[in-house]
Amino acid sequence: MSLPHDYAHTHVCGESEFVDDRPLMRNELFADVFYSTQAHALIKTMDFTEVLKMPKVVAVYTGKDFHNNMWGTIFRDQPILAIDKVQYAGEGIAVIIAETLEAAQRAKSKVIIEYTDLEPILSISAARKAKSFIIDARKIERGDVDGVMKSAPHTLEGEIVMQGHDHFYLESQVSIAYPLEDGQIEIHSSSQHPTETQHVVAHALGIADKDVICQVKRMGGGFGGKESQAAPFAAMAALAAHKLKRPVRICLTKDDDMIMTGKRNPFENEYKVGFDSEGRILAMDVKLFSDSGAYADLSTSIMERAMLHSDNSYFVANMRVVGQVCKTNYHSHTAFRGFGGPKGVATIEKIIEEMAHFLKKDPVELRKINLYSDTNDRNTTHYGQVVQNNCLEKLVTGLEKNCHYKKRRQEIELYNKDNNEFVRGLSLTTVKFGISFTTRFLNQANALVVVHNDGTLQIATGATEMGQGVNARISEMVTKEFGLPRSAARVMPTRTDKNANTSPTAASSGTDLNGGAALLATRKIKKRLSELALKLLDIHKEKWASKTAGLGTQPEVHLDSANLDENDPNLGAEWKSGLATYFEIQFEDGWVFHPKHLDKKIEFKYLVLEAYLNRVSLSDYAFYKIPGIEFNKLTGQGNAFLYFTQGAACSEVSLNRDTGEVKVLRTDILMDLGRCVNEDLDIGQISGAFVQGLGWVTTENLFYNEQGYLLSHAPSTYKIPNVQDTPREFNIELLENDENYSNVRGTKAVGEPPLLLAVSAWTAINNALTYLPRYKAQYPEIRIPATSENVLRAIHPDKFKAWESP
Amino acid sequence: MRNKIVFYLNGKRREEGPEKASMMLAEYLRYDQALTGTKIVCAEGDCGACSVLRYFPHIKQGIDTDNYLPINSCITLVAQLDGSSLVTVDALKKNNELHESQRAMVECHGSQCGFCTPGFVVALTGLVEEKIAKQEKNLSAQDAKNCMTGNLCRCTGYQPIINAALSIDIEKCESIKERFFTEHQHLELKKAFLQSVALESPEFSFFAPKTMKDALDFLKANPETKIVASGTDLGVVHNKRKIQLTKLLSLHLVEDLYEIKKSGNEISLGARVTITEFRHFIKAMVPEFATYIDVFASPQIKNIATIVGNIANASPIGDTPPAFLALNANVEVASLNGEREIPLNQFFLAYRTINIHPGEIITRLKFDLPRKQSILRFIKVSNRKDLDISAVNLAINLEWKDQAKKQIGEIIIAAGGVAATPLRFLRTEEFLKKNPLTIANLDLAIKELHSEFNPISDVRASSSYRHVVIENHFRRFLCEVGGLE
Repeated sequence: MSLPHDYAHTHVCGESEFVDDRPLMRNELFADVFYSTQAHALIKTMDFTEVLKMPKVVAVYTGKDFHNNMWGTIFRDQPILAIDKVQYAGEGIAVIIAETLEAAQRAKSKVIIEYTDLEPILSISAARKAKSFIIDARKIERGDVDGVMKSAPHTLEGEIVMQGHDHFYLESQVSIAYPLEDGQIEIHSSSQHPTETQHVVAHALGIADKDVICQVKRMGGGFGGKESQAAPFAAMAALAAHKLKRPVRICLTKDDDMIMTGKRNPFENEYKVGFDSEGRILAMDVKLFSDSGAYADLSTSIMERAMLHSDNSYFVANMRVVGQVCKTNYHSHTAFRGFGGPKGVATIEKIIEEMAHFLKKDPVELRKINLYSDTNDRNTTHYGQVVQNNCLEKLVTGLEKNCHYKKRRQEIELYNKDNNEFVRGLSLTTVKFGISFTTRFLNQANALVVVHNDGTLQIATGATEMGQGVNARISEMVTKEFGLPRSAARVMPTRTDKNANTSPTAASSGTDLNGGAALLATRKIKKRLSELALKLLDIHKEKWASKTAGLGTQPEVHLDSANLDENDPNLGAEWKSGLATYFEIQFEDGWVFHPKHLDKKIEFKYLVLEAYLNRVSLSDYAFYKIPGIEFNKLTGQGNAFLYFTQGAACSEVSLNRDTGEVKVLRTDILMDLGRCVNEDLDIGQISGAFVQGLGWVTTENLFYNEQGYLLSHAPSTYKIPNVQDTPREFNIELLENDENYSNVRGTKAVGEPPLLLAVSAWTAINNALTYLPRYKAQYPEIRIPATSENVLRAIHPDKFKAWESP
Repeated sequence: MRNKIVFYLNGKRREEGPEKASMMLAEYLRYDQALTGTKIVCAEGDCGACSVLRYFPHIKQGIDTDNYLPINSCITLVAQLDGSSLVTVDALKKNNELHESQRAMVECHGSQCGFCTPGFVVALTGLVEEKIAKQEKNLSAQDAKNCMTGNLCRCTGYQPIINAALSIDIEKCESIKERFFTEHQHLELKKAFLQSVALESPEFSFFAPKTMKDALDFLKANPETKIVASGTDLGVVHNKRKIQLTKLLSLHLVEDLYEIKKSGNEISLGARVTITEFRHFIKAMVPEFATYIDVFASPQIKNIATIVGNIANASPIGDTPPAFLALNANVEVASLNGEREIPLNQFFLAYRTINIHPGEIITRLKFDLPRKQSILRFIKVSNRKDLDISAVNLAINLEWKDQAKKQIGEIIIAAGGVAATPLRFLRTEEFLKKNPLTIANLDLAIKELHSEFNPISDVRASSSYRHVVIENHFRRFLCEVGGLE
């Protein structure tokens, strides 16, 4: 059994400290944000007189109070607080500071504001019509798409609409800003990107980066929603703390968080596909349109990942993907587990289902003949990267067999013939998820490893812990290298004064990057300790420094070990164990020894003490960058990823014909995660990501009013999956794969990829609909999410029409 | 008369006056008592992160409820804890040893980010308590899922938490009740329960009399007072609309109101009977009702919310009103002039407006058990099956006059989510009573049915969806009972 999460034992007692659990300082203040109710408007007048008269209210700040009011991760296009003009309902306008949270919240209703409404853009189609775009469309193209499409035996055209998806992290956006001496600020934030939070705060206040520390101990969930969007709230708290010289806490209510912050980008994709009678895709032409909301945020990168995943696991010789990010008047959409990936993958998985329906073949057969293979003519993606360590065929055939796909397909056909109350569907989909940030410079990390005098360790990296267990994995890698139990190490809160210039914990890369850096730092110490252990073999124990250093009677042990300057965390390590050995010295079970001198074992903590007394450094810092990544965003060509995490899932669903309610009866997942650092944590990521994705494709419905103001802004109206909504039977297995040589310890990242497997539930819903007489010839049209209402509408379009025609 | 409420928190006595009694329990725990294990997420009783265990030892409705039960602390006023014993997640560990439910969560990876975890641990511990009380050693996956229906997790996909529940060894568990609920505590709470409570400050007043007479006198003198039952709705209003609850009258010390009476065929539910208690009571007699209640809110809500509260709230999407309409229930109200009964179908006047006069207090809900020949169907349709508010709900109660001739004798059709109030379909009922149930008449009945309601479109469903779903369920029911194809 794998070790549990490193803080599970305090989580279950409620002892784990989250930002809002921090004890209140004696003079601490609370902030609440006043935001727009209008999608697009000029602010005509604004009056805070009544607010300031409210009891316990201390101050009100607007965007004008910032030294620099603009922020943005890729483009600095977004005001922290809107000044003259609001561009979405939920956009922050003022921050109210009071002695209690309640006082700040109550005072909000006293703001007097007048707007002059402007025409809002509240759909992708409206944005396209108005040519309201963030940047020019980008394109990735290979082969002769138009020519082959023309000559293809069959073609299909269609579109797929995917709505947004709220992160619904349990802990809302929260920050506390503590003013320190000499104009410094210390921020405690629930942020996936402490470095960006630090930089945004410094820039906003017009102070230097050296004067801002951001600490992230842990988050109560992130999922991408705290990658960029934690920063502006930290800046609001920091502004007040800086001005008032008092600590300021900002902790959004779930409702305000959902109204103000961005979601997974909605997409509306158009496609045309040409294929032969076997079901082999010959050409594919896809146009992706995403809704960025009011500002750029990460939407251009998200679109890029969608374009890079429009092939998913399938080789398409002639392929064109065009991506256009549309600017609308919704909250600014942002990263969410999978980034653009799910929107590319859902599109091609739907295309394959539709092709199979057209050809009256089983979709799994079509998937199999379209998979990337290892032959040279079918192993390169549309952006020119060779798919290495390809496990796709093994995954699909393995899963098909394990889950008894063929037998169940027959059973479903029979069931659907006899049942007029429910209709069932079955679908098997795949994922091939590229691991690395597509923006090259983000693929870097640094780590600090400290060995204390008693032989215990502290590790500090730029990784942030949000439940995924990145710290557990890193400490397992490091302690294993030293032959110690994991309990010998503690991963410290992430702080920008220890690890600067870090990347967000995102793109599933947390363990790859930070684990790589931590391991490199560990190796430097290990090499020194190994050399020392070797030398100690020749010195009588009575002459060791621990016996003599006080008096200085013996010469110091001098080490030749140069620092390891290599960038490869697998270098020098034996592949099977993943461990590096220097001078043949072994580290095992708390002991250090030379295999030829087993009688001279040294206890690790004793060796550490010896090292200290011989003035050998016991701390080290290392830097790691992912090698071999070259992707040109303008040509759309290059090696975008270090490797691919792959998997397949098969879901069976049952639709209630009276209500459209969907029940997932069974899901089987088979994934390739290389060699897991901690298998149970990885499996927890798979079940969690899958069920989160299941919410996206079924019940999670973002419902806005005519001003683009979110009405489903709490769990009473926004329905994430409940314990009863998990697949009734849920099997997760891992494929054995010991050959992912490119990544640290042969592991593969797991955070995002399984979310994309939830597409199988959505295609299964489509598949169920195809059993209805209405869809014998025509393929059903249903959006993501397939809510009860959307499903029922697909089952009984005529009944709905009766109530909707004027 | 007491001027403080009394309760026990993790074994320690607490007495609070108006200032702290007016706080929401979750806020009191976190910010006043520094017990930050309890988390606040939704502040509306929909996620369970704020769950705590509460025991109200004065009323014995049976083994299922005579124990510590999970409730949502985010929508419970501290004042409402008067007479209760409370245990929070912070106190479950004993001598540095994890409680079995905590151990299970750790070892089975049931906790990832840790924010929902305390709530799940509390829910699981509640299940363990129930098992211990009933001397049941086994815990099924369905038990586990049912006890966690009121808790949301965004990290794990629940499977590891279900595994954790299944790994719990009930025999290894020490009862929370035995550990925390000492004889001394019991005596002290009993003593407190004998005295009425009056908290008074300019910001907050809370009056809890011992008798209905005192309650009615107080209401007459203070007509602007709100009567709080479990406050699961008032608490949400307080949290979301920032409306401070200022003047409250609570009937939690009036013992009669906890009574569930069965005399002959008539069932009478006191105003303080919780939904959980009612479910246990009705399960054997009207199993359809018990099953229907299973998809009502969450265990945490049902453990404190009352049946009468659900009726008095008069929400058009409340779950029990259509069911009680189908059972021909009556509402009993008391005033200084005496008591009167109002048929439930005359009780809902307009949106959230009920048919009672100033100075009246609802004391009971009464209904006759359905006869043997009654065919019942209770249906709730929501975007998510469990812990969701209805898009629509439908209750039908049918009795044949002559089944062979397809003559319906009695039929009541009631629905929620279709109008400003819970609705009876009187014309459709009349039509079906007058005409034999044939395919052709069913189509006519459906036409009639649609003509009786004109639902709104909102965040939960469109108007068309409501029409189509009601029609589909109505048709299926009548086809089934009538043997129509």
